[in-house]
Amino acid sequence: MTTRAAGEPSLPTMEPNIQVHQLHKRYGRTVAVDGLTFTVRPGQVTGFVGPNGAGKSTTMRVILGLDRPDTGTATIGGRPYRSLRTPLREVGTLLDAAAVHPGRRARDHLLWMAHSNGLPRSRVDTVLEMVGLTDVARRRAGGFSLGMRQRLGIAGALLGDPPVLMFDEPVNGLDPEGIRWIRNLLRSLAGQGRAIFVSSHLMSELEDTADHLIVVGRGRLIADTSVRDMLAAASGGRVVLRTKDRAAAMTRLANAGATVAATGPDELVIGGLPADRVVNLLSQAGVPFSEVAGHRASLEQAYMDLTRDSVEFSGAVKESR
Amino acid sequence: MYALHMEWTKLRTVATTGWWLLGLVACTVGLAAFVSSTVDAVNCAPRCDFDLPRLSLSGVYIGQIAAVALGALAVTTEYDTAMVRTTLAAYPRRGAVLAAKLAVVTVVVLGCAALGVLGSLAVARGILPGNGFTRANGYPPLSLGDRATLRAYLGTVLYLGLIAILSAGVGATLRNTAATVSMVLGMLYVLPIVIPFLPTGAWRDALYRYSPMSAGLTVQATRGLNALPIGPWPGLGVLAGYAGAAVLAGALLFRLRDA
Ligand SMILES: Nc1ncnc2c1ncn2[C@@H]1O[C@H](COP(=O)(O)OP(=O)(O)OP(=O)(O)O)[C@@H](O)[C@H]1O
Ligand SMILES: [Mg+2]
Repeated sequence: MTTRAAGEPSLPTMEPNIQVHQLHKRYGRTVAVDGLTFTVRPGQVTGFVGPNGAGKSTTMRVILGLDRPDTGTATIGGRPYRSLRTPLREVGTLLDAAAVHPGRRARDHLLWMAHSNGLPRSRVDTVLEMVGLTDVARRRAGGFSLGMRQRLGIAGALLGDPPVLMFDEPVNGLDPEGIRWIRNLLRSLAGQGRAIFVSSHLMSELEDTADHLIVVGRGRLIADTSVRDMLAAASGGRVVLRTKDRAAAMTRLANAGATVAATGPDELVIGGLPADRVVNLLSQAGVPFSEVAGHRASLEQAYMDLTRDSVEFSGAVKESR
Repeated sequence: MYALHMEWTKLRTVATTGWWLLGLVACTVGLAAFVSSTVDAVNCAPRCDFDLPRLSLSGVYIGQIAAVALGALAVTTEYDTAMVRTTLAAYPRRGAVLAAKLAVVTVVVLGCAALGVLGSLAVARGILPGNGFTRANGYPPLSLGDRATLRAYLGTVLYLGLIAILSAGVGATLRNTAATVSMVLGMLYVLPIVIPFLPTGAWRDALYRYSPMSAGLTVQATRGLNALPIGPWPGLGVLAGYAGAAVLAGALLFRLRDA
């Protein structure tokens, strides 16, 4: 026995996180994951985005020890998943909402999960309540709608009250109300200090939810960045200007060395000049303008630009613009 | 222990388990009643040469289908729905998961097999005397006090347990309910159907010895043991060999393959 000073944690506290290092996984000739390295940190929602077939689900299966990587490691708080004795207390996951026995009652589905980790029966009722399935708990999962199954899957993830949560496309097929519910849930779970890892093939689904983004394409890391930085990089410090006298403004600003593009009858996007210089120049020249603002690129557009080269199944016929 | 608790909860919370167990008991007892009522001591003189304990256990020929289904389903339903990923995320030690599945389904099948076999004994004892198999005619009632009869009954219970294990092992290998059930039923029924049509001789005896069902059910024989190609317990041992090989293959693949 060692004595410890008061206030010192009695256990070596390992940050609850997910670490993926140099991960490679191929299925036959298909390279699914090609050298991924990233960390999912506590206290924030980390979005895992990439086009279809980018390797998101594969990465998650490897993290869970379901699929064996060819090389590289994936750990939870520094430990491989397969070495966890009661994994549901450490990582909650929803991989596939359809992965329930259709003939088993919702409550019994959670009950066997609870038993698998020595969790008390009361947790089952708690999580049923949290996801709003209490009233249908005695119904068989086979009769559940997609939204109800997603909720059941999320209940299973929350069962062990884990500090790390991982969801694969949780809003797939949900109605707007369900999407909003999941968003709020993810935000509040992250607010409690948990590490939340959530995948989607659509950036728009994560735009308002994620703090951090891991963007993948064809199994490779394309970006590992905060949402704020990604937006800033996408807008490139450009300025949007509204003016009645578009021609005069364009001439004046171009002469000052800015790149100017007309994006509407009274709208210009200006690069190469900060907003205060734009205001000064136009005021001096007596060019009327009504609005100067930082250009807000949509995350979706930034994402499309990033992943354009790595979309696996882009249509043969390009959509006309 | 958590793995056993998990698998027990899974098994008891799907209705199909109950139906198959009921089917196991009902088929075993029902067929015993039917066969017992079709034999008649009057037709054979001076003395019937029936192996009465074995006749009373005929229900196993159909009842074992339930054992096949239960053993297979314990493993393969998880693959029909990808639920195996939920299972292994909850309990990553795969050897323990498979062992728990086998233990739980085997215990349940053994329990119901015992019920079915005792039910068969009861109906046979009730029906046979009415067909002339009375003590007065020289046919003592079936009794577990008789060593050979006890072996036949106990052996039949074990036979059904081994069938469930065999089926679960094949299930872990094939990971598909329909494929597993077809494969195991094929293994069981094809040879016993073919063998009677073959000319007697070394070949036929060899096939009998390698047929999991023919060899395994030798454990039911109480008469004319010397004429059989294999002894009762060694016969059951053949089935155990098949079951062991299937479990070994299934366990190895379960550990190695991606879930
Ligand atoms: N079990 C498997 N066997 C063979 N190929 C696989 C397997 N799992 C994934 N793949 C392949 O690996 C690649 C990555 O697939 P993965 O499912 O991880 O992508 P994803 O990013 O989750 O895509 P989506 O957004 O469509 O869900 C794909 O080309 C896929 O076809
Ligand atoms: Mg996927």
